[in-house]
Amino acid sequence: MNLELPDSAVDFGNSARGAFEAAGGVDLARRAEIDPRVRSNVIAPLLADLGALDVVLGTDSDTDAAAAELCRVAGAVGLPYPLVSVLSSPDGPQRPLALVAPAHPRAEHGDLFPDWLAAPLDGSRRWAATARGGVLGTRLGSFVADLRLGAEEGPVDVSGFVVLSAWRVLGTLERALQLVIEHVTSRRQFGAPLADLQSVQFQVADIAVHVQALRELARYTLSVRSASTSSRLSDALALRVSMIETATQVFRSSHQLHGAIGLCNEHDLSILDRVTQPALRQPAGLEATTDALLVSIETSGFDSLFGQSIHGSRA
Amino acid sequence: MDYQFDEDSQRLRARLREMIAMNFDSDFLGAWTDDPNDLVQTQRFCRLLADEGLLARAWPAEFGGGGGSVWEQTVVREEMWAHHEPRGAQYMGLNWVGPALIRFGTEAQRRQHLPSIAAGEVVWCQGFSEPEAGSDLASLRTRATPTDGGWLVSGQKIWTSYAEMAQWCVVAARTSTEGRKHEGITVFLVPMDGDGPTVRPIASMLGRHHLNEVFFDEVFVGPDSVLGEVNGGWAVIREALKFERVGIARYARCDRLLHLLREELGESWNDLPGGLRARWARALIHVRTARLLAYRVVAAQEAGTLTDADASIARVATTLCDQEVAEVLFEALGPRALDNATSSAAILHGAVEDHWRYAQAATIASGTIEIQRMLIARSVLAAGNR
Repeated sequence: MNLELPDSAVDFGNSARGAFEAAGGVDLARRAEIDPRVRSNVIAPLLADLGALDVVLGTDSDTDAAAAELCRVAGAVGLPYPLVSVLSSPDGPQRPLALVAPAHPRAEHGDLFPDWLAAPLDGSRRWAATARGGVLGTRLGSFVADLRLGAEEGPVDVSGFVVLSAWRVLGTLERALQLVIEHVTSRRQFGAPLADLQSVQFQVADIAVHVQALRELARYTLSVRSASTSSRLSDALALRVSMIETATQVFRSSHQLHGAIGLCNEHDLSILDRVTQPALRQPAGLEATTDALLVSIETSGFDSLFGQSIHGSRA
Repeated sequence: MDYQFDEDSQRLRARLREMIAMNFDSDFLGAWTDDPNDLVQTQRFCRLLADEGLLARAWPAEFGGGGGSVWEQTVVREEMWAHHEPRGAQYMGLNWVGPALIRFGTEAQRRQHLPSIAAGEVVWCQGFSEPEAGSDLASLRTRATPTDGGWLVSGQKIWTSYAEMAQWCVVAARTSTEGRKHEGITVFLVPMDGDGPTVRPIASMLGRHHLNEVFFDEVFVGPDSVLGEVNGGWAVIREALKFERVGIARYARCDRLLHLLREELGESWNDLPGGLRARWARALIHVRTARLLAYRVVAAQEAGTLTDADASIARVATTLCDQEVAEVLFEALGPRALDNATSSAAILHGAVEDHWRYAQAATIASGTIEIQRMLIARSVLAAGNR
């Protein structure tokens, strides 16, 4: 099992990173909060030029890797565009996929497309959905819009959405770690860099462990997708649980280490935290995602050294 | 990185499980129980493993190894730890003493020691920690002074596992007070028998043989007992600790116990609080992650690119996972968690109680979690500034 991304995916990610940075990086999110049309006028053409919207998840493992790397790079700048929804939908950009809580169907950038495919976290059902008005415009829901659920169409594989969503958040958290390192090595208090304080070093170490752990799990989950369909949902949900846990811990520590400046809109950490919250809360947070994972483990198992004991043979 | 668990590795895993099932009862909890027969069994089992070239699976054949891949050795490590280490005290020699000898030993040292480790015939212990040198290992005070035809070692070591039964000890001693304190240390291979050191066991919650004091009173060792360079011991210690940090596949026992418990509880699983079942599921994820981080280290070892930070990240993840799983399992058992192997009512023959006690040491042994965090931070901050 090779967890390294192929060179083609890495190259694609590097091209995308260059394009996103040249277009302003995290400033794209700042601009889009003021003028939401930035998403369709600036970002959509940029993604089209990269060929990003032509990527079809599930084509082959190289394409899946390219999609994952693209989402990671987009996450690093908090790109305000429903890239995960477009790349993971069986209908592509014609009808992006949104994972929703049926009682409160919402999608990030739900206002950008008229038609959506909506499904709950386990993919047991799906609905044709339509946009319902503009974005919430709240501080934590800048780009979230309500959807209206229509006709039910049967089940859909949502694991691609869940996996790409985790790659996006991974990119964000890797960037948060970089911001932390930059801050604690440059900010001086008591006559020395913050990084000289052991309590700060320990927090940096814990962030690094969390991020590395999520990175390995994201790589693993991506690589086993093509090998097995039976455990796909369990694997994806496990990655989502890890994603939410990691994000909560990394953002918490990152804010603590930055102090007040990390809460300001002028600081990238603040923007990255705010625009990531919808991915952590929709369609379900940590506990509800764990519940869904438990159900999935009971029905499909969970691959591990001794996991088979659930279904019979004793470990 | 490429995790090369090929068909040979899978066959090896199946063979190991078969051998364990044939040679141990299901209530086996390791060599360090109150039943001395358990220790005898592990010594016999080591020889069986050695006969099939499985004990030192990845060592070169010229040193008595099986000539296998590091991935096969990883399988051995996982299966052994998952099944309460039926190699007994041997894992220390296999996990880091042998690799350190291969890396730093002279030809004569390799010829003398490696075949006996690979054959499961000898027990080693580690003389690093001292009463005044724990995490700050370079402050060690045990001295080795030159004498006619060799060295005289004097001082005290502590927390030394298996010292009572060991035939050899890897001893770190100060041989110079010049320069920085890391620079005056030499590592010696010291026989524990004859006029060797004195051992005093320390009673602990971990059980027998885990903790001892070892006293050296002008113990003589020859010049050929120096491992690596005189005053160059710190490099040996660092390398040894890197091997040791990833040597125990704690995640493997966690994995097995989480699943055994689920199976053992049967229908009553559904009576557990929902929050506890959620913790069980999340523990499974953390076990998977710890395993992946360990594989990352194995791949780096194979490529010769292993860093302190990589080894420490894997260790932090797996030791915290060990303690998390211990708590989840204990919560699931409630008052029955207090039964141990001597109680006929003990769930899983007391395996959970045994795991919980041993997990308390996970973030202390082989370098505390604080030291691991310092190593990680140093590396991450330095890389971030480049």
